[in-house]
Amino acid sequence: MKCEVCLELLEEYLDGELAAPDQTSVGEHLIECADCSASFATLTAEQQLFAHYDRELEVPPFLWTRVAAHTVAEKHTARLNGWLAIFAWPLASVVAVLLLAIALGVVYLISRPLQSKPVVADSNKPAPSQPRNEQPEPKREDDRKPEIVASQPKLKPRVKTTTNHAPADQSDVWSSDLAYLDMDEQDTVRHIEQTQNLLRSIRNVPTTDGDEEIDVTYDKALSRRLLNENVVLRRDAEMKAKFPTKTLLADLEPFLIDIANLPDRARAEDVRAIKERVQKTEIVAALVDYQDRGTNNR
Amino acid sequence: MSALAGTLMNSSADLVTRVCQGDSDAFRLIFERYSRPVISFIYDMVNDRALAEELTQETFVRAFRAIHTMRAETKLSTWLFGIARNVARESLRARARANSHVDLGDKSVMDLSDNKPEPVDGLLSKELNALVRRSLAALDEDKRLVFTLKVLHQCSYEEIALITGFSIAKLKTDLHRARAEMRKRISPYAGVGYEV
Repeated sequence: MKCEVCLELLEEYLDGELAAPDQTSVGEHLIECADCSASFATLTAEQQLFAHYDRELEVPPFLWTRVAAHTVAEKHTARLNGWLAIFAWPLASVVAVLLLAIALGVVYLISRPLQSKPVVADSNKPAPSQPRNEQPEPKREDDRKPEIVASQPKLKPRVKTTTNHAPADQSDVWSSDLAYLDMDEQDTVRHIEQTQNLLRSIRNVPTTDGDEEIDVTYDKALSRRLLNENVVLRRDAEMKAKFPTKTLLADLEPFLIDIANLPDRARAEDVRAIKERVQKTEIVAALVDYQDRGTNNR
Repeated sequence: MSALAGTLMNSSADLVTRVCQGDSDAFRLIFERYSRPVISFIYDMVNDRALAEELTQETFVRAFRAIHTMRAETKLSTWLFGIARNVARESLRARARANSHVDLGDKSVMDLSDNKPEPVDGLLSKELNALVRRSLAALDEDKRLVFTLKVLHQCSYEEIALITGFSIAKLKTDLHRARAEMRKRISPYAGVGYEV
């Protein structure tokens, strides 16, 4: 291959985008040609320089809240509105009937002659039909009996207590984040438990000198799944400033990567290397310790 | 088998299916997985932190609303980058209309160098980051887009073609020119032996 051709293909070679024959030819030429090899080294250095580019940019924790408000929560509200629309007419009819009944009741109460004292006893205000200058004290004494009767429907405190629950119910508005927090915590605990089981299983693999290959298909697949989870949970812990959790998850990642990258039938020495690291670093003990600690200490 | 099932449960394709079925947790997982690359990509394109946050939000909102239209063979990351690219482009166009001309030119970039090349180790500094950021901003939009996707986000040519709608030939040309321009701006910092 001529140098001009090689230099023309060098960027694509670096990007891994060349077809196999060209890839081989450029590779062979780079071994032979010092000038082209120097150019390639320069390109590689440049690539490394850009790889170190740090935007000093983090995903702000509030971003999900904002996105959720326009997506998940919006859909939830739309669904709710859908249900409301379905029940709107029957609901309106019921409300209309109730209002009518209340109106009729009020008209009846106002229009009927004043007979029963319990109505008076029930409120501190004098009844509209009673003279205003009447002294309240004798009235109280007279009304003692009816007061007891009237106080039977003292459901008000109860009604109040039920309405007092309303703010607690409204806390659902805030609970989305809290719920996620709890869910994350549960996810992390479950994740740690599964990872612990995986590492124990690797630690207990018998690797004698005679072993040539070990079937780690299951552990490998499990490790891949756990690795995905680990990355998400670690970032989450970082965003929520749960630094002990974040550190532990960060410590786990190299193990998960190594296991995930094993071939289905791994060499005994590769498995032994991971096994020894698991033992030496006492990562399993750290996981047990994490599980033993309460939520508040994480 | 269960481990394999677990892996599939967390795959992007499965997350998309779950979102389409109304599973909001799955969308949160998608956000967790892709928000960082998406915000980085948008930041590379618009060079404004607050705007990048806003546009990332817009990207995920659009993605959520259109996720049921995503074709099964499309990679989720490619699809999201495509939306992010459109969102960033619209914003850049709007900004360009608002400010008749913003000079992101060489002067400000070269002012940084002070003609004092520093050793490579010294490059891993805020100054270098600022230089890369400004050099990126000085590229024209197409070159910046291709360079960002290839060099900073390691997308393949095929993925870049899908995201941008450019032909492979165009993106190769743009990438080559973008690399040359970036090299020209950054070489004073990279010391001896860096220049190609």
